[in-house]
Amino acid sequence: MQRNRPPSPQTVNVLQALAADPARWRYGYDLVSEVNLKSGSLYPILVRLADRGLLETSWEPGVGSRPPRHLYRLTGAGREFVAALSAARRDRGAARPHRRLSEV
Amino acid sequence: MPFFIVFLVTPIAVAVALYRRNPRRFLDGPSEDAPLRLLGWAVSLLSPQRAEWGQAMLGELGHLDGRLRRMRFALGCAGAALVLPPWGRAAAGLWAMIGLTAASFTLFAGLTAGYRLGVGDWIALAVVGIICVGYLLGASVLLRRPGVALPGLLGGVFATVAGLGMSGFTAVDQVTFIPDPWQQWVRVIAVPAAIGAAGTLWGRDPAAGRHVARLAALSAGLLQLLYATVAVAILGGGGPPDQDGGFTVRGTVSDRLGNNIVDLVVSTLIIAMVGWAGAALAGYLVRRKPAPAVPLATRPVREA
Repeated sequence: MQRNRPPSPQTVNVLQALAADPARWRYGYDLVSEVNLKSGSLYPILVRLADRGLLETSWEPGVGSRPPRHLYRLTGAGREFVAALSAARRDRGAARPHRRLSEV
Repeated sequence: MPFFIVFLVTPIAVAVALYRRNPRRFLDGPSEDAPLRLLGWAVSLLSPQRAEWGQAMLGELGHLDGRLRRMRFALGCAGAALVLPPWGRAAAGLWAMIGLTAASFTLFAGLTAGYRLGVGDWIALAVVGIICVGYLLGASVLLRRPGVALPGLLGGVFATVAGLGMSGFTAVDQVTFIPDPWQQWVRVIAVPAAIGAAGTLWGRDPAAGRHVARLAALSAGLLQLLYATVAVAILGGGGPPDQDGGFTVRGTVSDRLGNNIVDLVVSTLIIAMVGWAGAALAGYLVRRKPAPAVPLATRPVREA
């Protein structure tokens, strides 16, 4: 059963990092460094995104003694999800100042 | 006597097993660094559906330089690999063991507080907590190995029931039981060896037998701890007088709880070690058994 729970702030950060250049394949450690997440947090997020069809993966062949490396980028559905997420956040951001003003 | 044999043989058996696994390691040192070994072990526990993600973590580690950076990355990934779903039926086994442990610990703490035991008993409680957490971590690893959860947990129940069958099931039996020599041999040698051998035959692999024996040891230890702690709760300072004599009620309760801690560690170690030997022996005997002669063709070849 698919859960419709809103993504965590860490997941949003990962999605935004991937959406910055959606066509580019990214390495796991690059995302760790860019989003400032622990590797133990990043991989479960990537697994969940891939399970939901928001992330596609590929393998880069190994060079010399270095092993093959896993690559990640957003799928079409992933890009749409990030766009919808950004729009929803913009709407919420636009609504907040009014609320705050009304509270004053 | 069997206790002494087990404790004497344990370090030797571990050393021999490590040497047989990789003889060069003793001469040249480990061929892989610690982060790679740690992560390799952790990803081996992932379910087959997640195997690709384990390879992804290992692949990424292979491109990182610097010992500290590699270790931090490997530690994070190993933590993720240990909890990454799906767990399948292993989750039910782990929750059952967590329930057992929580019940024992709560009861232990209740007795320590209820009888107003001293600082040493609170320290003992902390030690029990640390041991139990270690057991649960070990069990969580073993439960995820394919084909280990069910025989391992059954083995733990079998060892516990066999032990209780010899001691008796009442609370008084738990605190007064002194095994006869033959009972000692059954408890210490026969039952654990049977569990290890059964694990090998179940999984058709001595490695599976070892894992089954280890899980059986952990689950039996936790199960016996709960039973023995309940017995202390029922009896309190009552029951038959201790042979040492001169104890107060608090002293008696404290002594009985302390015995439970010793039993927890000793019985776990014995089942794991002797079960390991039983698994290895069963594997050796199965390998030695010649394969039945199979006819090359069911129908005779007719000449043209």
